[in-house]
Amino acid sequence: MQQPEAHSEHGTEHGAAHGEEGFNAGEVIIDHVANSSPDHPILHLPSIAGVDLSISKHVLMLWIVATIVFTAITWTTRRYLKQKRPIPTGFMIAIEWLVQAVRDSIVRPNVGEKYVRTWAPLILTFFCFIVVANGIGLIPIFEVVGLIDHYVLHTGDHSFIKRVIHGGTTATANYNVTAALAVITFFAIIIAGTKAHGFIQHWKNLVPSGLPKFVYVILIPIELMGMIVKPFALTMRLAANMMGGHIAILAILSFVFLFYELFQSAIVGMGVGVALSIPLAVGISTLEILVIVVQAYVFTLLTAVFIGMAINVHH
Amino acid sequence: MENLHLFGAALGLGMIVIGAGLAIGKFAAAAAESIARQPSAADKITGAVNLPLFLLEGATILAEVFVLLIVFS
Repeated sequence: MQQPEAHSEHGTEHGAAHGEEGFNAGEVIIDHVANSSPDHPILHLPSIAGVDLSISKHVLMLWIVATIVFTAITWTTRRYLKQKRPIPTGFMIAIEWLVQAVRDSIVRPNVGEKYVRTWAPLILTFFCFIVVANGIGLIPIFEVVGLIDHYVLHTGDHSFIKRVIHGGTTATANYNVTAALAVITFFAIIIAGTKAHGFIQHWKNLVPSGLPKFVYVILIPIELMGMIVKPFALTMRLAANMMGGHIAILAILSFVFLFYELFQSAIVGMGVGVALSIPLAVGISTLEILVIVVQAYVFTLLTAVFIGMAINVHH
Repeated sequence: MENLHLFGAALGLGMIVIGAGLAIGKFAAAAAESIARQPSAADKITGAVNLPLFLLEGATILAEVFVLLIVFS
């Protein structure tokens, strides 16, 4: 976390304001939560058609998450399908339970009996991806690699390992990632309405029919704004929840260094750490385990509700 | 005087927490009362409470994000 180049955009202004080489809690937290800066990605790739394809730390985490989800689920399912007697064992039981729970408690009540099989795969994909992406941020694999590097390997400041160890973050704490997920929801709503009622009728369904004309003048802009606001709220909720947990844990842990600097004694810092920071951080981490599942549930539930609203029009 | 925006952010955060706390308290009270009145419908009541609870949480989180933007910008 001590690489000064990785947070040049935030670092310069903070450094100039303080003008000293002390511990800066805000800088460390931002460095941990934010994506790596465009100038120093993990792997430089050329940009195609103006899109920078360089692998930053959140992109790395996204690839890792996608690999884990894809291999775990396809491998288990393939193996299950090859069995002579179709009795699920081991991890397959968990997958089966998950599929059934999501289908029966999220998709079916909201989307309706007719379109369950159409929309359950999308909702399930969202759920698995978000759960793994949220959860992987809580597991400090890359920090362990960083410790080994710091005490055993001693690679240089700009080595590949130094850049990779900044990758242990939650990809869903990045607004761009959740915005991409929400854009899928946005189009899923339109496609669901189009499949159920036809393209023209879907747009007509946005507002109730048979109202006085002047009501439509107010209602149509509100409904059009609502189309944008729904995915925007999804974006913000997921990203802010994930980021909030990390910021809270890091802020509590940084008490140790703040008190060390305040009193210039390691005993005080360690005392605060043992008495206050570590119990609180453990508590918040436990809460975060709950939050990662709840947020994945909320995202999928709201997606299902919005898709269901486009299909089962009440007015 | 140049740090007045931090004062506003702190005030805003406090007000967000007050509002969200009151709202969640009302939800919990209503859910507990209705479950006590009709324990067999506990599942349905929990399901009905969940969705508005998450919408409330979304609004709260949005407000907190804007407060954070004030602090960090």
